[in-house]
Amino acid sequence: MNYIHRLILFACLILLSSCNQHQQVKDSQLAFMKTTNLNAVITDRNKSLDRVKEIKRDVSRVPELYDVAVVEGEKNTLVVYKVKHMHRFRMKKIEKNVTEMLEKKYPNEKFTVSSDYKIFLESVRLYERMKTAKFSHQDAEKRLKEIVKMTKDTK
Amino acid sequence: MLKGHQSWVFANRPMISATGVTGGPFEANGKLANDFDLLYEDLWMEKESYEKAHRLLLEEAIKITLLKGKVQKEQIQFLFAGDLINQITPTSFAARTMQIPYFGLFGACSTSMEGLALASFVVNYQGAKFVLTGASSHNAAVERQFRYPTEYGGQKPPTAQWTVTGAGVALVVPNDPLLQEPVTTSATIGKVIDMGLTDPFNMGGAMAPAAADTIIAHFRDLQLDPSYYDLIVTGDLGRVGHDTAFELLNKSGLKLERKQFQDCGLLMYKDDQPVQAGGSGAGCSATAVYGHLLNEMKKGTYKRMLVVATGALLSPLSFQQNESIPCIAHAVAIEMNGERG
Amino acid sequence: MASKQNKMTPQQQNYQKLQQKHEIKRPVLKNCLKAFLVGGLICVIGQAISYFYLYFFNFTEQNVGNPTVATMVFLSMLLTGFGLYDRLGQFAGAGSAVPVTGFGNAVISAAIEHRTEGFVLGVGGNMFKLAGSVILFGVFSAFVVALIKTLLVIWGVL
Repeated sequence: MNYIHRLILFACLILLSSCNQHQQVKDSQLAFMKTTNLNAVITDRNKSLDRVKEIKRDVSRVPELYDVAVVEGEKNTLVVYKVKHMHRFRMKKIEKNVTEMLEKKYPNEKFTVSSDYKIFLESVRLYERMKTAKFSHQDAEKRLKEIVKMTKDTK
Repeated sequence: MLKGHQSWVFANRPMISATGVTGGPFEANGKLANDFDLLYEDLWMEKESYEKAHRLLLEEAIKITLLKGKVQKEQIQFLFAGDLINQITPTSFAARTMQIPYFGLFGACSTSMEGLALASFVVNYQGAKFVLTGASSHNAAVERQFRYPTEYGGQKPPTAQWTVTGAGVALVVPNDPLLQEPVTTSATIGKVIDMGLTDPFNMGGAMAPAAADTIIAHFRDLQLDPSYYDLIVTGDLGRVGHDTAFELLNKSGLKLERKQFQDCGLLMYKDDQPVQAGGSGAGCSATAVYGHLLNEMKKGTYKRMLVVATGALLSPLSFQQNESIPCIAHAVAIEMNGERG
Repeated sequence: MASKQNKMTPQQQNYQKLQQKHEIKRPVLKNCLKAFLVGGLICVIGQAISYFYLYFFNFTEQNVGNPTVATMVFLSMLLTGFGLYDRLGQFAGAGSAVPVTGFGNAVISAAIEHRTEGFVLGVGGNMFKLAGSVILFGVFSAFVVALIKTLLVIWGVL
């Protein structure tokens, strides 16, 4: 009896302390709990930011989704989103619908659509790193390719 | 001498001159810890396997009995003992160590009284001068054989019982009227009763009718009234079986009082120990009777008692094949010397 | 149950009725609550571990299950070895048996138990004596379900 209480307490302590290590909390650290509502990102300077924002607006309009991130690179456009809890059973179908919708509207783009949380997290991290001066567009492009490759691995 | 249908009366009143009782760590925290001669603080007892620890329990109990009875092991004619493990190897191996002529008994948890009845019978008819009898069980060794591995996290229902880690051995000798020691006066051998119960986690419920049957037979054969005994103690019925047996006895017309009817499995542990319905195992009645209850008799708390050890004669194989659990009970009456009549 | 009772003698039936009165009932509601809480807690720990792998290693949500399950089984192995898991099991019942940690416990407890009979006949031969049926019927039911799905796809239902 007694040791079970201690075990529960111990587990709670670990959970609490893990959330409390840094004073300054970055978006990426808490991305799994709150809506980050990321700005659209382009890693290729030749692309227009307006178009990416438009893509983001289109995807955000899908009722089952929230928190959409769009990263556009040289060849690939990465679209990541979170699915509302009650709609998670139909994730595969939503992914298909979003891809179809985007491909119809922007026939010249190549889309990578994902609802995987890891991809979302990496997009947020990419966004954060791009805000710092050290991280060049070439680096970002390279990283984007890696992320896109990651989504292919799992399929 | 046979009396009635299935009972013996020991006219020469064989005497229990010494006892040795050993126990494990769980018993050391129990209610009867002070009545054990030797308690181990670890289930392994510094052995490589639980079966070897089991053997050690019995060997040590025998050695303590010899020491307290002031006899050499060469003087002992027979050893009547048994346990619950397959082919009763721990007892047989202990007998190999001791080099005493040996009868291996299997009566499951009723072995203690089966042995005492036979030992008393042999001594009563001058078949031997010194006879050792005992029973033992080891929690982890028995659990692994009959149930799950010890560390398996399965939930036991509240009717389950906790196998006692311990061994109880008694030295039975011919009566010496000068000594104030407990003597055995009669015994009733039970028959196998099967009420069709199949749940191995509810042994108490299965064994209760066997206990009731033997007790009723005892009073019928000896033409006694239950008030003759200060204490009627069952072996390891646990909370469930004890209540059931009490009701069965009262229904049969025997007038027992609640405080006169007790159970070794319930005496053994404290209420806050996680033993579910109480203690069980061959060592349960052996340690409780040869330790605690005989000490109480010597103190004068009880003058006459009837010990009814109950056993469930199942094997892991038989209950997996959906056989019901047949049960048996043997009763031995123990009185203080000089309390004749 | 009804057919089983018919085979018994009236005496046995009477006794079983009497005995049931004295039988201590399992506290089902309390057990369910405990199982819910402990089982849920184990899953929370599992979720925390899977987030750990997501954040610090290159695992995606699709394949983070593999290292998480391995870690949980390893943790339950440790708890079993230290003799804590069986007590948790007595407290929580299904709460600690149903998650994958219960499977780890079933394997490792049998392995510890039969260590005394040596590595080949003891550990090797008995390690899966509890978990073996889980594996067998798990694989078998997966096979049946896959068969049904394949047939449905062929017939065009799905």
